[in-house]
Amino acid sequence: MKRVCKFIVAMSAVLFSPMIAGAQELSLFAWSEYVPQSVLDGFTKETGIKVTYETYASNEEMVTKLVAGGANYDLVIPSEYTVEALKKQSLLAELDHAKIPNLKNVQPSYMNLAYDQGNKVSVPWMAGTVGIVYNGEKIKDPITGFKDIFQDKYKKRLVVLDDAREFASWVMVAQGIDVNAVTKDNLAKIRPQQKQWMDLVRSYDSDSPKTALQSGDVDIGVVWNGEGSLLIQDDPKFKWVLPQEGAHKFIDSLCVPKNAKNKEAAHKFINYVLKPEVGKEIWEAFPYTTVNVESKKLLSDEQRGNLASFPANEDKLKLFTDIGEVMAEVEKQFSDLKGQ
Amino acid sequence: MAAIAPMTHSLDTRRRPGVAGWLLMTPLVLWMAALVIAPAAIMLVYSFSERNPDTGAATFAFTLDNYRELFQSAYLRVFALSLLCGAVVATAMVAAAAAACKAWLWAADLFKGQRQRIGMISFILGFWIAINFLARSGNEGQLLKIIVDSINYAGLSTIICVLVGYPAAYFIGRSRESVRNLLLMAVMIPFWTSFLVRTYAWITILSDNGLLNSLLKWMDLINEPIMLKDTPTAVMIGLVYTYLPFMILPIYGSVERLDNAMVEAAFDLGAGPLRAFWGVILPLTRPGVVAGILLVFIPAIGMFAVNDMLGGRNVPMIGSEIERHAIRARNLPFGAALGTVLLVVFVIIYYLGTRRREVSLG
Repeated sequence: MKRVCKFIVAMSAVLFSPMIAGAQELSLFAWSEYVPQSVLDGFTKETGIKVTYETYASNEEMVTKLVAGGANYDLVIPSEYTVEALKKQSLLAELDHAKIPNLKNVQPSYMNLAYDQGNKVSVPWMAGTVGIVYNGEKIKDPITGFKDIFQDKYKKRLVVLDDAREFASWVMVAQGIDVNAVTKDNLAKIRPQQKQWMDLVRSYDSDSPKTALQSGDVDIGVVWNGEGSLLIQDDPKFKWVLPQEGAHKFIDSLCVPKNAKNKEAAHKFINYVLKPEVGKEIWEAFPYTTVNVESKKLLSDEQRGNLASFPANEDKLKLFTDIGEVMAEVEKQFSDLKGQ
Repeated sequence: MAAIAPMTHSLDTRRRPGVAGWLLMTPLVLWMAALVIAPAAIMLVYSFSERNPDTGAATFAFTLDNYRELFQSAYLRVFALSLLCGAVVATAMVAAAAAACKAWLWAADLFKGQRQRIGMISFILGFWIAINFLARSGNEGQLLKIIVDSINYAGLSTIICVLVGYPAAYFIGRSRESVRNLLLMAVMIPFWTSFLVRTYAWITILSDNGLLNSLLKWMDLINEPIMLKDTPTAVMIGLVYTYLPFMILPIYGSVERLDNAMVEAAFDLGAGPLRAFWGVILPLTRPGVVAGILLVFIPAIGMFAVNDMLGGRNVPMIGSEIERHAIRARNLPFGAALGTVLLVVFVIIYYLGTRRREVSLG
């Protein structure tokens, strides 16, 4: 009998432990290849809060899963135009700045931007750009922008981000159209060139486009700067170019969904990742543009000189704004032109 | 065939489960209800819902718009034209076969009593060639092309699976027991590791500087690497690899039950190996082949992991298209409608597949 009792106690402990632990858990929903495991472990060690990390590969995917319900997330990392969209639909909780003293470490130029005045619902996580990385051993011609790489001679030697809005924006800047002037007319206008360009692409990858470059399947990539930065750090044959036509500058922010269960833990996490040394840790794993002034000071001169991570000239970089309904058309055009 | 009849009879009486049987079934029934029926029902409801323009989520207001977009007139026209083409081809082929029967003795021997089968096969071929041509030529939109392509890839992979799987299954089923168990194990070993890990392994095999290209280069067969990864070929290699065991195992089941006396009788009565295979072995193992085809073809159409990983997200198939509509284009209702139509198509294929098996058994 005693044994049976013990067994029941043990079983119920197993069964109910997730519920007990529920208060001490943080559900993070973020881009893949964006949050180092060591940072999650460090956070758990300091606060005792366990973190579950689920990933997505595009802002649109994240929004869909967020509004579809079912899963409950405590923290998401949308880009600036998606923060704007989520804020419009009041899907984000207001942040309590008093609980985030480390907010003072964030570089002022990344705060108080149009998409979230006063940073009521978002705290910058990392910033970055989209740019061109190429294998200098294979590509000898000078590369300065999109027009140099989307050439017939490079057919099927390109990997690009699997992102409809990004791809459309490259064609738009090449034609001198503002990246945020996404209208049906402009989409029709760029369609022929977009088709031409997409026919040259070998593969689409938003998660880890560097892999195709490393394995030698492709010689040119249009990728996130963090990916490019890792490539040029590891192998000097890779070169990074910020397209002269212009490019998307993104600011990804930590946000707490309105229906989050553990808002307290979410605030703790935000405060934790804004610590100078944690910011450095994040940068070393995923070298995007750090928004943390104190973290940047901890980097070596060589690290700070990485032009992929820290672009020298930001003149032609543009933030995206929310384009609303037209986004569906952007997606449609992108998939219509794929694999033809 | 006579030997099979009593067996099916005894199967029939055994098929009716008692209370204990139902109790044993409970876990399966619950599993089916929670993970198969409920999601399908949710999908059905979503497919008749409206799309919330802001979030893309489904809002529950009954609408047929999603299906209207799917069954747009351009698609229906292509479909009807292709049906017509199939009918014309079928009529022509049946007439040609009849004429051939009159003209030559060997043709009569081959085609006699096969009119229905000839008609059916040439109808499907005619229909399929026509719809391939029409979906590609016109500006009917990408969706139809993707559906046709998916069926092409899945169909070709299934055919390769049959051609490769049948001899393998036959050999396994006819070998000594110790060898047989070893070979069966070899078929199942891949299941010991995760499907995703195995597909990643194919990336390293099929890359430009991967194992296959390096081997071919080393053998001086090629100078420049062949581009395999990120092409439909790679996707089909992945599909064949993934689903081959699902073809081999049911065929093996049929082969193992194959009555050797029947095969011997065929030879004794003067049949050559080809005739014995075509007239006796194949009909007797047909249930296994049909089951294998259903187990391979249907999941292969909807597969999206393989074409995402090996196709570089540049080989659109219907599975990735549903994912794109539901997740990226933020149009869950349309994705659900697409999924529902696909489900109905599967049910029809399944019905046709099993119905023919019963006919062949009876």
